[in-house]
Amino acid sequence: MAPKDYMAEKEKAKQFLQEFYSEDDNGKKVFKYGAQLVALAHREQVSLVVDLDDIAEEDPELVESICENAKRYMGLFADAVHELLPEYREREVVAKDALDVYIEHRLMMEQRGRDPADTRDARNQYPAELMRRFEVYFKPPGTSKPKVVRDVKADSIGQLVMVRGIVTRATEVKPMMAVATYTCDQCGAETYQPIQSPTFMPLIMCPSQECVTNKSGGRLYLQTRGSKFVKFQELRIQEHSDQVPVGNIPRSMSVYARGENTRVTQPGDHVAISGVFLPLLRTGFRQAVQGLLSETYLEAHSITLMNKTEDDEMGTQALSEEELRQITEEDFYEKLAGSIAPEIYGHEDVKKALLLLLVGGVEQAPRGMKIRGTINICLMGDPGVAKSQLLSYIDRLAPRSQYTTGRGSSGVGLTAAVMRDNLTGEMTLEGGALVLADQGVCCIDEFDKMADADRTAIHEVMEQQTISIAKAGIMTSLNARCSILAAANPAYGRYNPRKTIEQNIQLPAALLSRFDLLWLIQDKPDAEADLRLAQHITYVHQHCRQPPMHFTPIDMKLMRRYMTQCKNRQPMVPEELADYITAAYVEMRKESRVSKDTTFTSARTLLSILRLSTALARLRLVDMVEKEDVNEAMRLMEMSKDSLQADKSSTTRTQRPADVIFSLVRELAGEGVGGRGGTGGLVKLAEAEQRCVTRGFTPAQFQSAIDEYEELNVWQVNQARTRITFV
Amino acid sequence: MPSAHDWINNPLGVVEGMFVQNNSNPEWQKKVVDYFKDKLTEKEAQTWVPSLNDVPLHYLKPNSLVKFRCLIQDMFDPEFYMGVYEAVDPATKSKSLKCGKYKDVTECLQVEFNSRNSVTSERQTFYCVPIPGESSWVKECYARSSQAQVIPSTSYTPNRHKRSYDEDDDMDTQSQRPRDSNTGSQSSGDSQRNGDSKRQETEAPSNNTTTTQSCTSPLDLNYPLPEEQGPACLVKVYEDWESFKLNDTIEVFGILSVDPALGGVSEEKEPTSLLDPMESMETVEEQRAHSPPPSLVPRLHMVYALPLQHINPLLPSAVSEDKNAFVTSFLSELGSIRSEFLAYLTHILLGDALAAEYLLLHLVSNVYARRDVLPLGKFTLNLSGCALSATYTEHLYRIIQQLVPSSYRLPMSLHNMNSMRMVPRKDYVANRLVSGVLQLASNTSLFLDETQLEQGQLDASGVRNITALGNLISWQKVDYDFNYHQMEFPCNINVLVASEGRSLLPSDCQVHLKPQLAPPNLGEFLGAIQAAQAPSQMNRYRLYLSVTRRMDYSISEEVTKAVEEDFVEMRKDDPQSMSAEDLHRMLVVSRLLSLSFGQTTLSTDVWMKTKHLEMLRMSRIQQQKSVNGHEP
Repeated sequence: MAPKDYMAEKEKAKQFLQEFYSEDDNGKKVFKYGAQLVALAHREQVSLVVDLDDIAEEDPELVESICENAKRYMGLFADAVHELLPEYREREVVAKDALDVYIEHRLMMEQRGRDPADTRDARNQYPAELMRRFEVYFKPPGTSKPKVVRDVKADSIGQLVMVRGIVTRATEVKPMMAVATYTCDQCGAETYQPIQSPTFMPLIMCPSQECVTNKSGGRLYLQTRGSKFVKFQELRIQEHSDQVPVGNIPRSMSVYARGENTRVTQPGDHVAISGVFLPLLRTGFRQAVQGLLSETYLEAHSITLMNKTEDDEMGTQALSEEELRQITEEDFYEKLAGSIAPEIYGHEDVKKALLLLLVGGVEQAPRGMKIRGTINICLMGDPGVAKSQLLSYIDRLAPRSQYTTGRGSSGVGLTAAVMRDNLTGEMTLEGGALVLADQGVCCIDEFDKMADADRTAIHEVMEQQTISIAKAGIMTSLNARCSILAAANPAYGRYNPRKTIEQNIQLPAALLSRFDLLWLIQDKPDAEADLRLAQHITYVHQHCRQPPMHFTPIDMKLMRRYMTQCKNRQPMVPEELADYITAAYVEMRKESRVSKDTTFTSARTLLSILRLSTALARLRLVDMVEKEDVNEAMRLMEMSKDSLQADKSSTTRTQRPADVIFSLVRELAGEGVGGRGGTGGLVKLAEAEQRCVTRGFTPAQFQSAIDEYEELNVWQVNQARTRITFV
Repeated sequence: MPSAHDWINNPLGVVEGMFVQNNSNPEWQKKVVDYFKDKLTEKEAQTWVPSLNDVPLHYLKPNSLVKFRCLIQDMFDPEFYMGVYEAVDPATKSKSLKCGKYKDVTECLQVEFNSRNSVTSERQTFYCVPIPGESSWVKECYARSSQAQVIPSTSYTPNRHKRSYDEDDDMDTQSQRPRDSNTGSQSSGDSQRNGDSKRQETEAPSNNTTTTQSCTSPLDLNYPLPEEQGPACLVKVYEDWESFKLNDTIEVFGILSVDPALGGVSEEKEPTSLLDPMESMETVEEQRAHSPPPSLVPRLHMVYALPLQHINPLLPSAVSEDKNAFVTSFLSELGSIRSEFLAYLTHILLGDALAAEYLLLHLVSNVYARRDVLPLGKFTLNLSGCALSATYTEHLYRIIQQLVPSSYRLPMSLHNMNSMRMVPRKDYVANRLVSGVLQLASNTSLFLDETQLEQGQLDASGVRNITALGNLISWQKVDYDFNYHQMEFPCNINVLVASEGRSLLPSDCQVHLKPQLAPPNLGEFLGAIQAAQAPSQMNRYRLYLSVTRRMDYSISEEVTKAVEEDFVEMRKDDPQSMSAEDLHRMLVVSRLLSLSFGQTTLSTDVWMKTKHLEMLRMSRIQQQKSVNGHEP
């Protein structure tokens, strides 16, 4: 291959910088780089970023060469800019610092002392680096994919690469000599030495014409003021944990940042860095010691900060048709719920509730009042019913989440702490788990083991979604818009059905009412369920893997993307449903007064129903809440209450569903007498069904109960099956 | 006589020869790898190679082939080196191509760095340490089987004899231990060493309590366990390093490189470096960690590596084809060994046959699969009621140490819990993974001694340590601390918790020890039992554990059905006493029980026996509860 004509390449660069334009809305030509060159010429801008996408429009081949040999082309572009700058200078520039004055003087001196016949350009005399006050960087083309640190190998040396990682170390920003300037103690001539590597051998003897011919042996002295320094910082980045293959240690890489790229990041930041991957040149003793090894580094061209959540959002692009179809099949609600912790058997309703927690309800803020949309759930249960597994699964599934245990965290650890910075002595705020989980899920295991004082710190978060701090002179309010998923053990080891919930979990009512749903997961014998459970477990032991299910669980990533899409919806509750919900609420209140209820039915309950139904509507990706959503929300509420009272029935007499339905209908009939008067013993079938469904019965159960009691001649159903008349 | 093998004494010559032969055609690299592989898979060839584990470093010839049985403790960033470079002869100015593979330093002074012919290649460095907690019998056994010829040293043998006479006086200085354990390489099978080793075994654990080493070098060699000995090694890997994982146990065959120039970087006081503080981007700590003096941490250029499934020297390694024959022949006498072994354990547990049965199952257990996050096959045993005398747990551990290839006893004293580093942590200043006690090889027995725990305050690190232990037991994983995030590393460690009452750590199964005998002097009693076991008998036990642990196992459909029905039936009678967890455990117990009998499928008999065992155990726990009254 013939060596490249770099002069020609430089001309190309020049041409590109001068002529590249894009058209704005009015069809006017905008010279993107021309404008920047003007700014550079007047020292208003320091760095010039050349977007390789722009070059690709003009000359795709050039882009390829740049990516292959970025360091060389950086020099070429810098030369091109340097030569172009005088043409772009429109007015006299005021010298900004000492180096500017130096440069000016040097140019003047050069001009004066020069032979008028000589037409050489003045700037060539000095090393180009010394006279430049700008930096040229490349921005890699948008089509190139960021690489994983471990994929940057020996074959990418010299190329422009883009990597992602987390900054683990950042040195102080130090000045690094780019051009050393010396003066001679004999003849006074200045000598310049451009420096490329981290080490250099200082010049000692004056090489000027005068000293050499006179053999005066002039010594050179380093002029700090006349030398050029650039800001320099060394970073070390490490791969993200998700890029590391199982059982491997994350790799790291050195990054050198110069000039404008310094002081961009701090340890702990997630960054995307593009730059040139280069071997480090060593000289002298180090080279001998190192022998055959060569170290490498990445010379940064651009450093972009990004936060972790952004990084995780591979789901930003909308779901494709096919993926949507895969999710929104029939019974997608069951399927989605079943995909939560598929390794945990059963607990369908709990999983449904958790699904709603992940999606969240709609936040409402009418006239400055804020009503939270996040759903809080508390799981209680006997030891060993997979509460913790459910929590840790949610922790893994939620795009943003914090997992903590009640025993391990204090109130300060959950909310926020004021810390004194060791270096500066200033007071700083450090967010706790709840703050870090803002707009996510905070899972708190062993909730009951927390000290009471610490637990009260959560009260504010659970309703107001903020954390107010007033300590050490800092008064502020932090956002903590997170859903809380708590798990607690019953106070006496096992749930004692003869005691109230308060006694059982020893949590104050103020806290309990803030949970939208309380689930008691109990371990109850049931031959059929037991058999299925046994099959499940033996299968695992037999085949070392998950038994085949009637559906394949949805992939975690897909779930996450679907949920982000769900969260974009803001479903409304239509006017006509409002009455329905109020009626249901009034009914619940009444009932809680009548029956010796262990839970609380308060205004918060109504809000919970609204939240759950909006979450359900979100899940269906619609903008309007429907009656089914409300019914399902109430059913979940009812089931959660049932779970708390379940053992009552077993201690007394087991009531068949039909019996309960009968009593419900009779109650309804009684209401009719009291409420509307005159229509005694007459109940609308639809109304009765509605009532029963909200109590967790299926329509089939309802129908069979109706038929059963009709046969017993307790009531009669009219021909059109719309009315029930008590005999 | 396995001597004068060129490929052992001068492997670099072989490499160079092949390089020249193939005229720097890239093919030569594969040929070198194949050549060494062929040589090393030959019968017995591996035993001719001297091992770093049992020969002190200064007896080994530099640039010779050595082997090292080790655990990958850390993985450094890849290095770029010159695979092929051009050397200039200063005298004649003639240039020649040289190969830089398997080398650290160039032999010739002048290297043409800007040559077009040089090829830059990549290699990976692993920081390897000897297998943590490796029992002394394993070390000895390996050393004895070695047929390597080490340069005879005149001062070596007498030195050893001298020490064995006045051993009682100076044996507790730790510095002499490594050399002592190397005795095996010298001669083969004299009765004197047997006694020697006995003493060593009893000596070693007593030293454990003093963690401060008098002779600590300023350089931390980063062993997972505090009182570990032996050389650490930087292994340079040239081919498919992706196949190695952290905490893998491997046997590395490589070219030893101990050129002092390598460590020169640590003497960082040259005037040139003072001029420019930025000359090195690495911190001093990093340099110390990554280029320690080769006299302490030799470099090993890997030519061949053997992943070790187990480190039991009595069992033929996985490659040999006669392994199957060996196992089948062993299986025939398995039944008798099991009953003898059980009797032995029963004696040790002071006549408690039930506890012995469970201890046996525990020793056989092994994580054989993972389902999502749940490890299958682990069987953590909590042996409660161990506080018979102050030293009983220690004796117990020493007996277990005699049975398993690698083990570690962690006295859970408050001080240990608060001060010990258990979870490995990434040190970003030195850029290395600082090891912790929980960085152990697969199938290591971890003996947690809870009887040492006293009342007091756990500080933050103590709480973290307890959580880490809990995670290890429940999920068989350790979350390594990477400061900005945590990374989960699965492991396979047999945890045995010895406690007074129920342990504060979770466990799969708790057995309360019920001694039938009460010997007046426990130490003497146990010592006598141990002494009664002939070495060959011990070997049979060791082999038994390793063989049964590796067997395949399956459950047939019919038995599955029976088990399922059984479960439903049991739930009907008493739902409180039988949960899903219990079924899980019973399946694990039945699996281990089957394996311990050498059966590879679950039979109804074994299932019934499992139920019986569990029932006995549960009733004993119930009894214990009623005695103690308020125990949870």
